Amino acid sequence: MAMAMMRSGLQAALRRGGRNASPKRSFASSAHHDDAYETAKWEKITYAGIATCTILAFNNLSKGHPHHEETPPYSYLHIRNKEFPWGPDGLFEKKHADH
Amino acid sequence: MIESQRHSYHLVDPSPWPISGSLGALATTVGGVMYMHSFQGGATLLSLGLIFILYTMFVWWRDVLRESTLEGHHTKVVQLGLRYGFILFIVSEVMFFFAFFWAFFHSSLAPTVEIGGIWPPKGIGVLDPWEIPFLNTLILLSSGAAVTWAHHAILAGKEKRAVYALVATVLLALVFTGFQGMEYYQAPFTISDSIYGSTFFLATGFHGFHVIIGTLFLIICGIRQYLGHLTKEHHVGFEAAAWYWHFVDVVWLFLFVSIYWWGGI
Repeated sequence: MAMAMMRSGLQAALRRGGRNASPKRSFASSAHHDDAYETAKWEKITYAGIATCTILAFNNLSKGHPHHEETPPYSYLHIRNKEFPWGPDGLFEKKHADH
Repeated sequence: MIESQRHSYHLVDPSPWPISGSLGALATTVGGVMYMHSFQGGATLLSLGLIFILYTMFVWWRDVLRESTLEGHHTKVVQLGLRYGFILFIVSEVMFFFAFFWAFFHSSLAPTVEIGGIWPPKGIGVLDPWEIPFLNTLILLSSGAAVTWAHHAILAGKEKRAVYALVATVLLALVFTGFQGMEYYQAPFTISDSIYGSTFFLATGFHGFHVIIGTLFLIICGIRQYLGHLTKEHHVGFEAAAWYWHFVDVVWLFLFVSIYWWGGI
């Protein structure tokens, strides 16, 4: 029963192409108004998200990154079995020499 | 085109792209192995193979778009098939990432004595999940909101709004990738630093790769929306991109909670 309901629900979702089909939307005239309303709503949510991200980004970037102390050369760190085709170090692994 | 057609299915024409894509994949694989074993011409064959694959992808999808728009082959029934196909593709992607989460939990839930019996391993300085990773979570959620905005704009027939919404989605995606790049560059560990580095960069790296694919997909949708390809009733390409984007978003939420947050304590 539950499986059959899920299956018909999935098929319905696929047929309408991910579009919400609540009963009030089956009228063409109201459907248009609904999407316009939803467009405006999600536009506002997007702006709120962008504003939050901008504040958080400035907050994060102004902090500067912490410096980690050197660790003993444990055998499971900085593993090298053979040379890379382009040389001894990984492309993004210069930090071992720099810091 | 075919006068006698009495059904709504799309019988595709013969195409050279499956064989050209296969040859490109063959050259990429052989070239990749040759390159990694320092054979002469390995890098050339690898590059040729990749260029071949990229070319095939471009012309194949160009053909699909022509079949959809110009030739009008994408009937309701064909659209349904395309959606089923894309859902199955995303299911296969879920299984792909499942494997990396399995590797992560296998290594972190019972850390071996070789890494000090603790997680994160002794000597690994982890990233603070509440700095860039949390910011990136909000960025991806915001771009998820922006793609929903674009969807409703398309359904409401607001063509310009939809383009703006897709531009916002893509910009947020690019900012996410930028922050990930910065984080990778500043990370105190690399992929060769213990099983922690291996599982961390395998999972987050493949996620980043998927973000880049999703961004390209959304850029294509934005261009097609601008060109008027997408209509209220027919916008399967956009739907697929939106589903893909939400999938990438959900994978990030799992990465954030398990690898960055739980795995960093």
